[in-house]
Amino acid sequence: MKSLQTFLFIFSCTVVMPSCGKDDLSGNADDIAGLGGDTWVKGPVDDWILSNLTVPYNVAVKYKWDQSEMEFNKVIVPPDEAKVLPVLSAVKQVWIDNYVAETSELFMKKYCPKFFVLAGSASWNMDGTITLGQAEGGRKILLYQLNDFRVKGMDGYQPEDSFTVKQMFHTIEHEFAHILHQNVMYPQEFKQISVGNYTSNWNNVSDQAANEQGFISAYAMSFPDEDFVEMTSMMLVEGRTWFNTMVNGLADEEAQTRLRRKEAIVVNYFKDVWNIDFYSLQTRTRASITVLVK
Amino acid sequence: MKKIALYILSITLCFTACRKDESVFDQSPDERINKTLSDYQAALVSSPTGWKATIIPGNGGIYHFYFRFNSENRVVMYSDFDTATAKHQKESSYRLKALQQPTLIFDTYSYLHLLADPDAAVNGGSYGSGLLSDFEFALDTLYADSIILTGKMNNTRVRLEKASQQELDEWQNGEWADALSFINIANIKNYFKRLTLDGVEYEVHIDPASRTIVFQWLSGGAIKQFATAYYFKAGGIQFENPLTNGSQTITGFSDISWSDDTQTLSVNVNNTAGAIAGAVKPLKTDVNAPRRWWQKAADDDGYWVSLQGFHVNGVDDAYGVTSIPDYAFMIFWPKYGTNSGITYDLTGFITADAEELALNFGAAYQTPAFTSDGRIMFTYLGTLGDVPPEAEDAYLATAGNFLNPAGFYLVQTSETSYDMVSADDAKTWITWVY
Repeated sequence: MKSLQTFLFIFSCTVVMPSCGKDDLSGNADDIAGLGGDTWVKGPVDDWILSNLTVPYNVAVKYKWDQSEMEFNKVIVPPDEAKVLPVLSAVKQVWIDNYVAETSELFMKKYCPKFFVLAGSASWNMDGTITLGQAEGGRKILLYQLNDFRVKGMDGYQPEDSFTVKQMFHTIEHEFAHILHQNVMYPQEFKQISVGNYTSNWNNVSDQAANEQGFISAYAMSFPDEDFVEMTSMMLVEGRTWFNTMVNGLADEEAQTRLRRKEAIVVNYFKDVWNIDFYSLQTRTRASITVLVK
Repeated sequence: MKKIALYILSITLCFTACRKDESVFDQSPDERINKTLSDYQAALVSSPTGWKATIIPGNGGIYHFYFRFNSENRVVMYSDFDTATAKHQKESSYRLKALQQPTLIFDTYSYLHLLADPDAAVNGGSYGSGLLSDFEFALDTLYADSIILTGKMNNTRVRLEKASQQELDEWQNGEWADALSFINIANIKNYFKRLTLDGVEYEVHIDPASRTIVFQWLSGGAIKQFATAYYFKAGGIQFENPLTNGSQTITGFSDISWSDDTQTLSVNVNNTAGAIAGAVKPLKTDVNAPRRWWQKAADDDGYWVSLQGFHVNGVDDAYGVTSIPDYAFMIFWPKYGTNSGITYDLTGFITADAEELALNFGAAYQTPAFTSDGRIMFTYLGTLGDVPPEAEDAYLATAGNFLNPAGFYLVQTSETSYDMVSADDAKTWITWVY
């Protein structure tokens, strides 16, 4: 009798429990809206990205608007679809193809930043300046102002547009150099060259004044790491002739020596660590940019 | 017996616990959001002739849009933003997404983004915020013939309404583009723009960014003024409030056409033809304005400031003063100094050298002549300071322009601002602020 009672109790409980479960509305996990990312009907832009960037280099490009990739307090607009491919193919020509030519496919597959986010307008700052590019953690690169991207041969191209174009490559080369030195650090002696001159007040210094103190740009004054990647990116984007003219034109001989020593360390670092002929890479990069802007 | 009571109690407890889990909805949140999104998706593509919408961005102005969505995340648009957007349809992409609310995102650049663009050069708004509009909208309510949207950044309220075939035709046949030819009024190079309608003359000022229009007319020798917002419609423009002047009532313009040859905008008001053309002098000259303007700064030993220099023949800063190295602004300083017993006025160029403002050079004029018909005339006295070679062109052109033999009218635009307009053709002017 007692066992029957126990059985009945357990039985009634089991009956009650499943009916409880029925009311649980957590639903089918496969139906969660947006799970696995946004989807849309793919177009020619998506196909180009897939076959030219995603398949060979595992690089994703987000050109459709996603506020969560940007700063929430900024007014920014998405890029015009017509600008996406010109920008991305320029990025591929100037940056990826040249590195591949100097190293190997494998090198780029391994080290290139994996995620690009594109925006149509610039990002306006409180002080009236604008941000043209940004990078996070060696993985994500944000490129702004695509809607103004014009290279030679496009409608309405003006020589001053070349600044926007160069700025874009400057951002990319800058961030890529960060990735390189975060994998293998540059020699300690680089940090000794301008020791004592690094300042958090760099944004109040003009590029020209920074040159006179032995820095390639004002931002290079902020930190030795930034100094190193600014040296790399400016030399690649502006070319060797620009660098030589700039250094030889400096009034301060001390500054000239410092910039020359930094240049030598960058060149040796690329040779010793990555087996890259920096001057050859520089010639290629500068030539690709010249094709776009001159 | 005690045991049975215990069983009953525990089973009741089980039931109670069950009830707690019961939801007021009969479907899971995921099922419901998916259903909502697919309902909206179905609604968006349900109108073969598309949708129309009116958008009022935070900066004011009334803009009309036409949208046609397809099921492949593509949308085509028209807009009365400018002549090109009213004439040529543009295709871009959209998608529906479950954010905190079901959301409609216009996710690549389209005519809609022109209003939100933070680049003021695009839309005449402010740098960093544009005209305060949206392109990402929460889907609020779905009605049979309309959808209510709320912008996520600036709370722009939009009502999408199904468009009729006729409304689509109005875009495709260029009736909106015709209406947009009104913006050619900006091509009239004279400062004064005059509407002549049935023998009555009105002075017209337009602010294209906020889409407002100001009329001035003479009534019994005095100037009367009326301001209203305007918006475009197929075939013309409509005033939010009508202008009433005696027997004349103007609710808007239709049949708008621009003639490049005569620099005239033809319009139609209540079946009466009118024309807007440039004028060389104000409807009623403010004869005391030049003296008032000069005296104000002279009394305070202060100066008037111009940021941009002269506007000449449709070109802002025609002499390139803003391109002078380190240029900050231009000033006009009455009774600046004395030389050989002559007290002179100075048009000075202010530069910002080494973080400091400096007045390094300028043109000196004798105390101006004020005519009885309300003009001011300047006589050159000499150059003060050394003009740097890179500023020479801008300096000479600007200083020379003051010597216009016909002189200038002064039009007071606010308590502390005047426009100084050349009296010979009204195609040259400079804005002074105190």
